Amino acid sequence: MAEQNVATERHNPELTVGISAEYLSGKRFPYQEDISTIEDVDLMESTPGQDLNWLEDITLLVEDGVPAVFDRYSNSFVKIYFEIPKGREDEIARKVLIKHLTSGNSYGIQLKEAHAKFPQPELGPWVKGSRTVGTDWKRSVLPGWEAPSGH
Amino acid sequence: MDALTGESNIVYDARGLVEPNADVPKISTIDGEKAEFDAQNLTTRQINLELRWLINEQGITDVTVRNPGAKHSLGVGLLTRCKITFDGSLGYFGCGIIDGPEVHVKGRVGWSACENMMSGVVVVEGNAGSLTGAAMRGGDLIVKGRLGARTGIDQKGGTILTMGSVGSMTGFMMQRGRQVICEDAGHGLGDSMYDGIIYVGGKVKSLGIDCVPGEWTDADTEFIERKFRIYELGTPPTFQKFVCGKKLYNYDNLEASERKLVL
Repeated sequence: MAEQNVATERHNPELTVGISAEYLSGKRFPYQEDISTIEDVDLMESTPGQDLNWLEDITLLVEDGVPAVFDRYSNSFVKIYFEIPKGREDEIARKVLIKHLTSGNSYGIQLKEAHAKFPQPELGPWVKGSRTVGTDWKRSVLPGWEAPSGH
Repeated sequence: MDALTGESNIVYDARGLVEPNADVPKISTIDGEKAEFDAQNLTTRQINLELRWLINEQGITDVTVRNPGAKHSLGVGLLTRCKITFDGSLGYFGCGIIDGPEVHVKGRVGWSACENMMSGVVVVEGNAGSLTGAAMRGGDLIVKGRLGARTGIDQKGGTILTMGSVGSMTGFMMQRGRQVICEDAGHGLGDSMYDGIIYVGGKVKSLGIDCVPGEWTDADTEFIERKFRIYELGTPPTFQKFVCGKKLYNYDNLEASERKLVL
């Protein structure tokens, strides 16, 4: 049923109040359903500085009645469907988010290939050795469109 | 066009026009993963091109920029983990829109340093101008001197810590994150803030609309002690805590897109 809901959202964007990562990608990811896929995420290693840095502001939220973490890089929620152990709410939210970002599944990251205007690591500051994108940006051309005279 | 003469060391027209020379200077001395270059005779564009070339294309993780000359918009748009040292001062909009770098500025910074910073650490040895940390989303911004007016305006996350005082309307429309002010705060502190925490070690001239004293918790103590320990700032003073009174809260009336802006 969840798959149907996602499809419905994609075809009728007016039906959605919020934006979910599933809506943007058209699918659900394993780390949204299985806690074992995020247990190995090292939060300290994933952030600059000597403490959690920006992850300190990331907490578990609720979207559409479902536990979720907000992905600021795509302005969307990553919903979490597995049972979250009591006392680990924020830790789990942070691990799911880092997994989402380092996997390259965040919609903001997926847009980089086509739209990054200057060289930058595709997977941002979270993954060492990430390939560089944005080295050959070209302005988009709308077929058949011509600039008004004087422009 | 004749060069402006109002600021020393700036030998080009810095009035917001695009500097035409887009060639990467490639003048750095590179030693393993470290690099160093002298920015004295380079334009803003050339300095930023050199930084990006080193970090994004040469695999350099530690860069020292000599003689930054308080030029504007240096070190912006760096989106990876690295260390950068500016051996001098920065002008306006230094280190804006960064995500990951750990930056050390040995001098002062002008207006709007670290505007829209996403993550990373910036330590400024001197003072910083107005609008420092504007719309900041995350990371730590440590200023060992004083800060100007409207510090952290529209702040959406992260920590701004100053060992000195701040000007008026600090924390205006703050939406999340923390500010630690070791000395005095000017008029209108935290005006129209939605959320977040402001700690003040000195006197507050006046509180802004809907900014009220908050209840101190163990989490506040842990946070303050941790930041002072990490950045070797000595013993923290006794702080007052200020938060949003939530009298102006109208979240239910916000559009979905507006609601996301404050998350």
